[in-house]
Amino acid sequence: MDFQLLGLSFVAVFLSELGDKSQFAAIVLGGSSKYPKAVFLGTAGALLLASFIGVWIGDGTAQLLPTKGVKAIAAIGFTIMAIRLLWPEPSGSELDPKTEETTPSAP
Amino acid sequence: MNATPVTDGSEPIAEPITVDLPPGASSPVPDVSSEAGNRGGFWGCFVSTFATIFLAELGDKTQVTTLLMSAQSGQPWVVFLGAGTALIATSLLGVLLGRWLAQRLSARTLDIAAGVMLLTITAWLLLDIVAL
Repeated sequence: MDFQLLGLSFVAVFLSELGDKSQFAAIVLGGSSKYPKAVFLGTAGALLLASFIGVWIGDGTAQLLPTKGVKAIAAIGFTIMAIRLLWPEPSGSELDPKTEETTPSAP
Repeated sequence: MNATPVTDGSEPIAEPITVDLPPGASSPVPDVSSEAGNRGGFWGCFVSTFATIFLAELGDKTQVTTLLMSAQSGQPWVVFLGAGTALIATSLLGVLLGRWLAQRLSARTLDIAAGVMLLTITAWLLLDIVAL
């Protein structure tokens, strides 16, 4: 095990992620969600998968993935979350009829 | 200041929130009325967080960093281990900071701040798209 390389990659990624948008998203979603553990697992899992793909595919990532389109989809997702937070459904959430909508879950 | 604790009775919460808390009192479970990520409970929250962060991070500078380091060193697994622990650490710090803030702000203030932050992240992503 090359511990120097291990430390170097840790420090490089830690510093580049500190204050980056995904950490802001983790702060925002972790603070405003009822399920901070789900936010942590989702954030960490997504980052791990993204960096795993980076390591695995290597140089081909930028060519293989339509990065612009993917980022646009993410932007839409964040916008939807922002709208839900800024303009919650009227009449409060005391009796929110939409919470009764069934989600497709495993049996 | 709209500090009235709002409970969403339809969501299962580990411990029930008492509604008699005076405004400003810090409860172990912050009174959260927000909607983002709460649909569908734990897994809905997990999936929406995972999907947006994953898509936002694809092709981002961290991915480029790990990519370059693994290509240069020829030891991709060591790089992945270092990068992975760093990413877990930054997400954990982020979520903990969010919880800390949530206990100090009223639910409505928190929602507005969170909504504005999410729009900022959207703008950030759009700038990334333009810069690519």
